[in-house]
Amino acid sequence: MKNLIPFLALLVIAGCSSGGESNTANSSAGTGSTSSDSKDKPLVVFSQANSQDPWRKVFDASTKAEADKHASEFTYESQDASGKSETQNNMIETFLVKNPKVMLVSPNDLSVTKAVEKAFDKGVSVILLDRDIEGEKYSYYIGGDNTEIGRQAGKFVGEKLGGKGTVLMIQGIANVTATQNRRDGFLESLKAFPGIKVVLGDDCGFQRQKARAYMESFLQKNEAIDCVYGHNDEMAIGARLAWDAAHPTGKAPMFVGVDGCQKEVVEMIKAGKMDATFQYPTPGAMGIQVAADLLKGNKPKDRRIILPTVLVDKASADKYLSDNPNLAN
Amino acid sequence: MRTQAQQRSWISIFQKYQGLVGLIVLLIGAAISVRATFFSAANFANILNQLAVPGLLAVGMTFVILTGGIDLSVGSQIGLLNCVCASWLVAGRSTPATILFVLALGTALGATIGGLISVTKMQPFVVTLAAMVSLRGIAYVYTDNGTVSGLGDKLDFLIAPKFGLPFNAWIMVFITMAAICVLSKTVFGRHVYAVGGNPQSAHYAGIDLTKIRIGAYAINGLCVAIASLIFTARNTNGAPDAGAGFELDAITAVVVGGTSLVGGFGNIAGTFLGALFIVCLNVLLILKGVNTYVGMGWKGIVILVAVYLQSIGRSTDS
Repeated sequence: MKNLIPFLALLVIAGCSSGGESNTANSSAGTGSTSSDSKDKPLVVFSQANSQDPWRKVFDASTKAEADKHASEFTYESQDASGKSETQNNMIETFLVKNPKVMLVSPNDLSVTKAVEKAFDKGVSVILLDRDIEGEKYSYYIGGDNTEIGRQAGKFVGEKLGGKGTVLMIQGIANVTATQNRRDGFLESLKAFPGIKVVLGDDCGFQRQKARAYMESFLQKNEAIDCVYGHNDEMAIGARLAWDAAHPTGKAPMFVGVDGCQKEVVEMIKAGKMDATFQYPTPGAMGIQVAADLLKGNKPKDRRIILPTVLVDKASADKYLSDNPNLAN
Repeated sequence: MRTQAQQRSWISIFQKYQGLVGLIVLLIGAAISVRATFFSAANFANILNQLAVPGLLAVGMTFVILTGGIDLSVGSQIGLLNCVCASWLVAGRSTPATILFVLALGTALGATIGGLISVTKMQPFVVTLAAMVSLRGIAYVYTDNGTVSGLGDKLDFLIAPKFGLPFNAWIMVFITMAAICVLSKTVFGRHVYAVGGNPQSAHYAGIDLTKIRIGAYAINGLCVAIASLIFTARNTNGAPDAGAGFELDAITAVVVGGTSLVGGFGNIAGTFLGALFIVCLNVLLILKGVNTYVGMGWKGIVILVAVYLQSIGRSTDS
């Protein structure tokens, strides 16, 4: 029996090298003959920073769905760096071995600049998604505009409140640009509504349970508030849950969030539990379209493509659900 | 009796070369599935580029593990040294001065940890766990919770090609050779094995356990420092969260390379092959398009198999 074990070990190790085949759903044919396959069709690769939050899941799903539409034009492969820059560096360099024509990268942080530059210098068209690198060695950038989202949210709230009232802003991670931009844009729009007072709430880390705990404490102060603006939907939901626990009946303030990537939020808007959210658009589908255009020789006009946000309120909720089939649950 | 002895020698031979055996199996798998891309010159350079950091960490870790110790603080050391290196360069200090300071600081950190273990007689696991937490905290305090960027191309020479291979690959090869010589050709090297194999008899034989332990951890610290320089060159910034989890990669390479976690048995060549195996496995999984998390599952199984092989080796020995 004992001398069988090393053989079993060998089988397991061998399994690692062949185990990929059952999991290559996103590379068109993960079998031994990929070399001939890649000669027929150009290769488009996507290096995702992580797939761990709902927004990234929607991002991945919409990228994959768009790539499937172009399956006859190019082979598509994606990998996820699980939030580690070093993993993403290695991934990008390994992707280069396969000579892709287009590389989509959503950088984990600025540490992947060098690897991206290497791809660019090799002549690969590099499309950055959502986050930037240092410097100019990339082909295109596609992403949302958090400052504009903040502005639109501020305008929406100002108009709905009729120019007077108190807004509690529940904030995301303090040193992240998304937080700063979603705050500053909001405050900029509210300058047109001098009757509205903004209470700057705590850093609740974009997390539902932190926002809930913060809101529970805040409500102890019995301060009148007319609107809660969360820097993301999760925090707005957390605040709403705290409100509902403290005030089972009666009129609730407005609740407004950002992201619009979860079905849950849209359902809450339909049920009147939330008033609105502003979509932070996922750039993957557009990235694939640009890749497809580039392979056909059509270059996009703009080097930096900024995706517009979409207001989701009670009136537009149903349309939003049908327009965005890949929302997270 | 005779068959049992044969069986035992078969397992011990396998154990000794398990890194090599694993690597060969992996390469055969690669030859079957992704031959065109895996066995290309570009991928050869790619693998060497990726090997330097985990390879150097694994070489250092081998010294520590051979003495019967462990160092869980390697990832945090990388994080701190990465921040120190980037901050010095951004502050305008000269590149040679920065490199020397980082090497000295890494060696001193390692020696301090080794000294603490020897003096307090606490388990290495506990001492280095404490170091892992503290050093990570210090890295955040040192950088004021931020990333240090803007050091430009000052360290580019570390990763640029020289004589056909990336310079970091040459560093890796040189350090591996040097480590092999230290372990097999010097008195210190033989004492490292003795301390790990049986500390009591090593003590009675007149070996200064404290000195050997401090030496092993200092060598580890030096390897970490060299790795952190290459890491900084590749990432071109200093991040306080850099290197998280690298200690586990290093331990994995050592274990897959056939070195026993209880100490006293193993060698650098095995570790090198173990590190090469892990990097080739990572590259192969990406080339095959295997999902990252499925890949992590496979890596866990490989570690389990490697350690299990050692445990049966040990039980047949006793």
